[in-house]
Amino acid sequence: MWKIIAGRLLSFVPTIIIASMILFLAVNVVPGSAARAVLGIQATPQAIKRFEHKHGLDRPLYIQYADWAGKAIKGDFGTSFQNSVAVGPEVAKRIPVTILLASLAFGIAILIAVPLGALAGMRHQKMSDGTITTLATLFGSTPNFWLATLLIYLFALKFGWFPTGGYVPFQDSVLGSLKSLCLPAISLGLVSSGLLIRIMRAAVIETMESNHIDTAISKGVGPRRLFFSHVLRNSIIPFLTVGAVEFGFLVGSVVIIEDVFRIPGIGSLVLVGIINRDYPVLLAASMAITLIVLLVNFLADLSAQLIDPRQVKNVRN
Amino acid sequence: MKRINWKKFGLVTFSLPLVILIIMIASMAEYVAPFDPYFLDVMVMLEGPSEKHWMGTDELGRDVFSRIIFGAQVSLQVGVCAVLVGLTGGVFVGVLAAYYGGYVDQILMRFMDIVFCFPAILLAVILMANFGTSIFNAMLAIGIIFIPGFARLTRAITQTVQRQAFLEAAVCLGLPGHKIIFREILPNVLGPLLVEATVAFSYAVLLESALSFLGLGSQPPEPSWGNMINIGRGFIDQAPWISLAPGLALFFTVFIFNLFGDGLRDILDPKLNE
Repeated sequence: MWKIIAGRLLSFVPTIIIASMILFLAVNVVPGSAARAVLGIQATPQAIKRFEHKHGLDRPLYIQYADWAGKAIKGDFGTSFQNSVAVGPEVAKRIPVTILLASLAFGIAILIAVPLGALAGMRHQKMSDGTITTLATLFGSTPNFWLATLLIYLFALKFGWFPTGGYVPFQDSVLGSLKSLCLPAISLGLVSSGLLIRIMRAAVIETMESNHIDTAISKGVGPRRLFFSHVLRNSIIPFLTVGAVEFGFLVGSVVIIEDVFRIPGIGSLVLVGIINRDYPVLLAASMAITLIVLLVNFLADLSAQLIDPRQVKNVRN
Repeated sequence: MKRINWKKFGLVTFSLPLVILIIMIASMAEYVAPFDPYFLDVMVMLEGPSEKHWMGTDELGRDVFSRIIFGAQVSLQVGVCAVLVGLTGGVFVGVLAAYYGGYVDQILMRFMDIVFCFPAILLAVILMANFGTSIFNAMLAIGIIFIPGFARLTRAITQTVQRQAFLEAAVCLGLPGHKIIFREILPNVLGPLLVEATVAFSYAVLLESALSFLGLGSQPPEPSWGNMINIGRGFIDQAPWISLAPGLALFFTVFIFNLFGDGLRDILDPKLNE
């Protein structure tokens, strides 16, 4: 077991380093654009030069990266171009909000996906299987930002059940916090459930084909017990380990949903960084999202390996 | 005689006419749309759906239905071009990795795996912020995001093709590398790539709309479903059709192309057919 963990950890570190390089390159792909963006199009070449020198942007890109990465390891993500405030604490403050939203959305997606996916898998190649698979495609095809707009129109403006946006911190009011995150979580969760239904279906089909199910049926186990004690128990672990990757993608989708609902998470900080062309903010916020995604993928992969490498391999195929 | 399994053609039979309809509407937008999508008529601002304006008018009195039809043109253009960029880059990297193997394969695919881990919307947003907001840049940014997916698939299929006897024969005959790649490998990887391209296309349409919704894709007054939904949000209480109608068009298009992709997979993937 320790060998697997050590091996995975060894491959995780270079992944983070290369991911940070890609991100740094993506943010700085156009030379000089940060200075022009912050100072405006009428900025003189001298002003641009001064700005670039002040922020170290006139150095070669690899030196800039080494400098940034060296400080980032110590938790220093630089200061904002706009207001000279340290970026690290701002990102740290927003991470729990984003994780809470993504977790709620993932919970909703699982609540939808497990029963529907299990039903489709149990009734493989029957009419209900086809209906549920089509429903999964329908969910997966829904643009989450449009669904969010629709939900705001119906449940916030028409019925007044939820706020149109904003965020109530968890420590201020648990109910208020859940209420403010309910519509954003549904917008994200319903769309994500499309893929999760398919994963659950595949896991159940895989389990149904295994020998222990045939043995249970031949021993006269009833359908209810067969489902809960044999099929569901053996399908849920590969479903969760493979499905956890979807959690990572869900964290990525918060960029757009946090903007729609004006939630102060990391996703909205990415957009603040883009609108203000504030590259330290953009880089730190994007790196935080990427780190969460990579970490979730890493943990999902590791737990999959540790629990049962064969089962997960089958579901993935 | 081998019996044809008609069941596997069900999804394609249902979705193909709708795919053709969407493509025809988009390519003949000038003739199909009842109004000029840029024509402002302040006398009919925020007017609800009527016989004249089927899907109502927007905040500047423009016909929403006509703008949706022209928006389809934008979405489909971006979708096709982004998939072409992704396909070209992905096939190039995938074939190269599989054909040469060893360190070339290790380095290329490790890099692709890491890019694949990035949330697509995040990478798209960052690239657009740098490239600048335009439809062309949206095509490019979305296309770049697709490269790892196509590369992984191409590599996997190429490795399967490489084990086939006809390829060994080609190598034994002494065919040069580029001829083996273009004549023997590429024609055999196109089928599964077509399925992936259909799914990627609908995802590209979604991503373009998401970028336009955030103000990073096509810019107003150009009709794009994403920016129409975004602008409509400001008037959602008075005129919900401005947001809801283009959203429905987007949802329907993505759904139909996804069904078409599933249908193609049913036909082309023998493993699933069994």
